Amino acid sequence: MAETTEKSNYYAQAMPPVRDTRLQIADTFSGCACEMSKCLEGGCALRKNRSFWQTNACQMSLTLMMCSTVQNSVVVMHGPIGCGTQLHGLSANAQKGKVNRNLPDQKAPVWLSSNLGETDVINGGEKKLQETIEYADRTYRPEIIFVVATCAPNIIGDDVEKVVDITNKTCAAQVTALHCPGFRSRVVASAYDSFYHSLIRHINFKAIPYKDYVPDNPQDPAAQLGEEVFKYKIAHTVNLFNATSIGYQDEQEMVRLLTALGLNVRIYAEYSSADDFRFLPLAALNVSLCNMHDDYMLKFLEKEYNMPYIIEGMPIGPEQTRKWLVAIGKFFGLEKEANLLADYEEKKLEEAVDEIKDSFAGKRVFLGGGSVRVAAEAIALKKIGLDVIGIRGYNIDSNANPVFDDLGEELPDVPLSVSNQAYEFVNQLTKLKPDLIITHNGSHAIPAKMGYPSIQLFDAGASFFGYAGFYYLVKRIRFALENNNLAKNIKAHAILPYTEEWYEKDAFAYHKE
Amino acid sequence: MACFIERPRTTCALGGAIAVINALPGVTLVNHTAIGCGGNLSGAITGGGGNMGDGIYSGSSMPSSAIGEKEVVFGGVDRLKEEITTALEVIDAELFVVATGCMTEMIGDDVEAAVRAVENPRKPIINISTPSFKGDAYYGYEVILDAIFNKFVPVSEEKDPKLVNLFGVIPGFDPFFRGDLSEIKRLLEKLGLKVNTFFTPDQTFEKNVLGAAKASYNILLSPVWGTTVVKNFEDVHGTPYYQTNLPVGAIQTAEFLRGVAEKLEIPSELVEKVIAEEEEVYYSDFIRAADTITNRQWYFYSATVTNSNYAIPIGRFLYEELGWHQEDTFVTDILKPVKKRALTKAFEEANFASKLTLDTDTQRISRTLNKTRPRNRGQRYWDNNTPFFILGSSLDRATAAEVGGQALPISFPLSSRLITTHAYAGYKGALLLVEDIFSTLLG
Repeated sequence: MAETTEKSNYYAQAMPPVRDTRLQIADTFSGCACEMSKCLEGGCALRKNRSFWQTNACQMSLTLMMCSTVQNSVVVMHGPIGCGTQLHGLSANAQKGKVNRNLPDQKAPVWLSSNLGETDVINGGEKKLQETIEYADRTYRPEIIFVVATCAPNIIGDDVEKVVDITNKTCAAQVTALHCPGFRSRVVASAYDSFYHSLIRHINFKAIPYKDYVPDNPQDPAAQLGEEVFKYKIAHTVNLFNATSIGYQDEQEMVRLLTALGLNVRIYAEYSSADDFRFLPLAALNVSLCNMHDDYMLKFLEKEYNMPYIIEGMPIGPEQTRKWLVAIGKFFGLEKEANLLADYEEKKLEEAVDEIKDSFAGKRVFLGGGSVRVAAEAIALKKIGLDVIGIRGYNIDSNANPVFDDLGEELPDVPLSVSNQAYEFVNQLTKLKPDLIITHNGSHAIPAKMGYPSIQLFDAGASFFGYAGFYYLVKRIRFALENNNLAKNIKAHAILPYTEEWYEKDAFAYHKE
Repeated sequence: MACFIERPRTTCALGGAIAVINALPGVTLVNHTAIGCGGNLSGAITGGGGNMGDGIYSGSSMPSSAIGEKEVVFGGVDRLKEEITTALEVIDAELFVVATGCMTEMIGDDVEAAVRAVENPRKPIINISTPSFKGDAYYGYEVILDAIFNKFVPVSEEKDPKLVNLFGVIPGFDPFFRGDLSEIKRLLEKLGLKVNTFFTPDQTFEKNVLGAAKASYNILLSPVWGTTVVKNFEDVHGTPYYQTNLPVGAIQTAEFLRGVAEKLEIPSELVEKVIAEEEEVYYSDFIRAADTITNRQWYFYSATVTNSNYAIPIGRFLYEELGWHQEDTFVTDILKPVKKRALTKAFEEANFASKLTLDTDTQRISRTLNKTRPRNRGQRYWDNNTPFFILGSSLDRATAAEVGGQALPISFPLSSRLITTHAYAGYKGALLLVEDIFSTLLG
């Protein structure tokens, strides 16, 4: 198929594709859940734009969140001095994540900037990049060096891949590059592809004999048995792909459930190390935890290593967790066991949630943030009696179609927008007046200034997934509904930067074709 | 050619401008950049600046032209014009500053033309050039303030002899800027002065920003930063400036107040009365703290790792008031030769028996400190200069741990503390510094 050939070619290219070219994407849309996937497929959501934009994140922001977690790695920002400085904040999160997982490397990630100046922008920055990489290699002795190529080198045309090839010969570390200029895509999800592309291009996925394993001696009578054992183990091993928004507790919940089915679980690619990556292909199945996160990598592993994969939504709430679990169970011939496990877990969860959920009846909730997550949480919360009055996904691509089809069935008429814009958020809240807001990390100050209680849509330090996660989510909702004093207090004194005129307009008045 | 740099304790020029509008009342920044610049930089500044939080106009509320591949190829002026026009409709600010980033500077967009093309804007619009490859955040601070005060604020013939402006303290990159400026303001008001700090919560656009031209003196609280602003201010508005350090503790603050009084011709009786009053309160508290300090024998070899603004005042305080050996003063700013000379001169004048090292890289600073604090290699007697204390950024805690020292994070990136009104300047600030240093040791 022409399409397949084209897609598989992405992996051989120096530059990763952006989601804008690889999939159908939207970052500007307003309508309802039932039209979303039709509008993506039909194209009417694709051409949308805005005549007023506010600043947000770029694909580089998310690549940094991912690569800064990799153990024993150094990040080299290739760009002027400002790019990547948010790592001062991100580093602390990455370090916390390492500590939570009790990894051998618990240091805050080190990063450098090639610090392109005016002359470099004119004469090119390749030499400087090489110097920076080589300095990083001999000073910090990392296992992996991630070069993050920002807007400037991409405009001046630095051949970053050439420098990566050179330094892979001169450095002890494995050097790879994340190509993620912010101007190439307004869709931050392109970052996931960019990060995975960097792993695919230059990181070793092959176990090394006598380092990782001792090859069998054919004369050894136990050799054949050893091989059988090894094969059996691989046949019962699952690679689980995490994300920055997925914390250690969520990973552990999913590991708990899969272990209960008798499977071995390994977790990739955040918080992995060069050693871990060499074992990546030694599993029976790759499983994603988010429709929009991993397809680029999982398709590569399927093509290159013949590894099947499962992308089955996000395991939030009992129903979606069952779906996710059963899909994996089915693959291993454990469908019945998976259903039994889900039955048992659901019963336990129901007992715990039932007491709390009565107080939620009729409470009006608004959700905003990552598209797959908002859809998954909206469906799960509807089931326990919350009234979902609005959903806003930050950006969306056709990978999320199955989730939005589900959402279209569950909540067909709920207003759905694709927006990460603060001014639209404020306008919507003024009109919808929800009882509770569940929103993306970093956007809570807005509802708080307007007097609304809000809780995290995701939080790497808290629990969301599976059965345990849903219980804690419900408890957090109860807490927020019971005491909203902080927001109530600041509402009277907080000033938002918008004109009176803006509040009178429709929230999506600045959308255009 | 600028060298590569490890974990830069700054951001780009655009970041400096964003830091300024985080705290300056009534001003919004239209980012003429890709959509991520403003968000990323806001994260860097608020996170590194003691989790300072966003102002009304900073963070995700800032307009951005959000240029994409199309604009990089065909030019972004049309998109910018549209953005300015709609921003004027949506954002309720008194002044719109259009700021460029790397990509729009490289493609050569004529921003000034785009600004002029907006017909009858309901609020004034100015533009600044802030690409990262031209300078860092400290440079950006100077660029935006120079544009606002020396190109936008109307010249005033009438001067208020009691009004002064404070410059040199940089929002975020001086994480204690609000508290420090408030303390300086409090003290100057006791001298009968009126003070424009621009960045404290009591300031307004109308009165303080537009009224800045009426000031009869500018006080620059930095040996290096803001010089462009006050020099051009003098040329444009005819207001002279007094350059000094931000004072920390009784000794420096008394010097500062006497210095200001001399420049502004304030009667010395008044100044001495204020100093005596303040010192009475200060020393009564300080002497209580001295109970614990002396009984626990808390005298340290110390090093500071800060920007140029804090290096001298903190170092002097440790040496002159706490009686420490302030051995190493690391300044992590990226300084051009002129500013290097200015800092070195100010450092020599301050004369507090310390060695000044200009180094931007955490790892190299760590190496330097490790060299002077050798591990025992079986010697019976060896001098490793302990006990040791570092006042640096959140990054330098790791260094302190390596050499077996204690640390208090006080400089950018200050990601491990949340700062609102906390201060280290003046009398009140110095007592807070004493509290923080010795609480670290008690905890």
